[in-house]
Amino acid sequence: MAGGRAVAAFPLVAGGGPAVRRRAPEAVRRLATGLVVPAALLAGWQVTAANGWLPEQILPAPAVVLQTARDGLDDGSLLAATVTSLGRVARGFAAGGAAGLLLGAAMGLSPTARRLVHPLFLALSQVPVLGWVPILVLLVGLDEALKLIVIAWAACLPVVLGTMQGIRDVPPAYLELGRALSFGRWSQLRTVVLPAAVPSIFTGLREGLANSWQTLVVVELLASYEGLGYLMTYGRQLFQLELVLVAMAVVGAIGLVLHLLLAALEARLQRWRPAAGS
Amino acid sequence: MRLNLLAGALVAGLMAAASADAGTAVRIGYPGVGLDDRPFAYGDYVAVAHVNELVQAELKDEPGVEVSWTFFRGAGPALNESLAAGQLDFAAGLGDLPSIVGRSRGLKTKFLASAGIHDPIYLAVPPGSDIKTIDGLRGRKVAQFRGTNLQIATDRVLEAHGLTEKDVRFVGLDMNTATAALVSGNVEASFGGSEYIELAKSGVVKIIYSTKNDSPTLGRNSGLFVTEAFEQAHPDLTAKVVKAFVKAARYAADEADRSAVFQIWSKSGLPVSTFEADFSDERLAHRVSPVIDDYIVARYKDQAARAKAYGLVKKDVDVDGWFETKYLKQALTELHLENFWPTFDAKGEKVTDGVVEQTKVSG
Repeated sequence: MAGGRAVAAFPLVAGGGPAVRRRAPEAVRRLATGLVVPAALLAGWQVTAANGWLPEQILPAPAVVLQTARDGLDDGSLLAATVTSLGRVARGFAAGGAAGLLLGAAMGLSPTARRLVHPLFLALSQVPVLGWVPILVLLVGLDEALKLIVIAWAACLPVVLGTMQGIRDVPPAYLELGRALSFGRWSQLRTVVLPAAVPSIFTGLREGLANSWQTLVVVELLASYEGLGYLMTYGRQLFQLELVLVAMAVVGAIGLVLHLLLAALEARLQRWRPAAGS
Repeated sequence: MRLNLLAGALVAGLMAAASADAGTAVRIGYPGVGLDDRPFAYGDYVAVAHVNELVQAELKDEPGVEVSWTFFRGAGPALNESLAAGQLDFAAGLGDLPSIVGRSRGLKTKFLASAGIHDPIYLAVPPGSDIKTIDGLRGRKVAQFRGTNLQIATDRVLEAHGLTEKDVRFVGLDMNTATAALVSGNVEASFGGSEYIELAKSGVVKIIYSTKNDSPTLGRNSGLFVTEAFEQAHPDLTAKVVKAFVKAARYAADEADRSAVFQIWSKSGLPVSTFEADFSDERLAHRVSPVIDDYIVARYKDQAARAKAYGLVKKDVDVDGWFETKYLKQALTELHLENFWPTFDAKGEKVTDGVVEQTKVSG
């Protein structure tokens, strides 16, 4: 009943043809709304800096930060740090994501695997990523291996959970249909299970990517001589807070872009679905 | 608009609250900790003033004045942050680079007295290392405590041997972590101070270089600073604090107190034998002196210029306008110590002799 009324009401609100035209302003409005808070913060920052309400050592003016970003681009140091950090995330996330997909799929598909691994996995995942660092340092040292392992582990956790949950939550009716069409194991998995599990898997991947990006900065703060996290510690120790702010801005911007890329990829993979919410 | 006013009022309120406290508090910061983060200094007269509570004693007739000490594991950079946040009145023993960095960023301080000079740095490597010289550090992974006076001392040693920071892979680690990383083989070398002497004696590391045997200008310098705000509000208290530190320096520079001073320093967790080795063939007064002479001024000008050349500060730092020596002169006069320490010209040539040079180890 409720669904029927919603369908009936929909054309009245959006209209048939005009819906397409109305979508553009809607997107613009959403973008504009999303910019309100950042713009207000930026204005507050500028006013605070211009009036000297906070010491310049603690809060450099936006113009100073912008100039520092330009300097970093000119001498190549900002780009080099970004490339290093992106490389670490790419490798760590690829390893952690792949492992997470395999482990999650195994735990989703096989009750035996789930019973064997799930409790231990849940217990281990409660330990914060940084909690692993002291023991990892002793095992693999302070080098790249440490960073990749920590990033991979951070990426792996939500992917495992998302994949397992997505596979377990495939509607029984879909599986029924697959069996009725006498799909083999592989076809069942490829054409029924995985597509149905995509939203949950992607939720895991998105979280995993965000995790690995955030963890990267933390491990680079620890011990390294390159990367965005390194730039932050360097800026802090030499009392150049504008350098810290530049690195923060780059980290935030790249995180946002990565998030949007994954969302776009997910939307592509979901084209077979009729419409959102059905 | 109203929001701005509100924010302004909030910030102003916070600052008022902070400065109201400062009226009765003498908050001293020290850029370092002892072994295992013990809140004790070593190697300078500041440690003597702290352990013997000389500042408290000097201020005992001042009603309501509270003296507090904070030791920063994060060393000079962390102390600078605390200064910027208005949480300290004095920085005792702050190293040359962090104080220059702070001044280049507009921290309002006055340079009251020297707190140390010629403090050597050592290069430690694992016992089996093939690194034999400074030149052997090329391409190696080396621990470095950035933003401290160790960094500029390191950069100067590298420069003196034809290297720059870019020739070495420096890993940012603090003092205690660097030692652990070196011992566990996670870094291939580490520059540091007397902390490595005991480890070298027990064979855990090997010291392959020290500025003790190199140019005397390569050592580390440190100073005693007061915030301009505190100095303007409480010139009388500032004078007493300086006097307390000069008393500490008088004690710590006297060869008769040598073993007593080493005992005081050993509260940091480093053994007396470390200081015996660190100061071997060297008089205490060679490092322990509050005097600001042309040599000190020249050292700081040189360090400021090099800090800029190495890209550690972005602006030229005005060194001349930094010193406020009237409190030091007053304390030296009141304590009859005008001729206690020798003075040197900018090139390091002695200008006047000091009584301290005649002091002898007792017993």
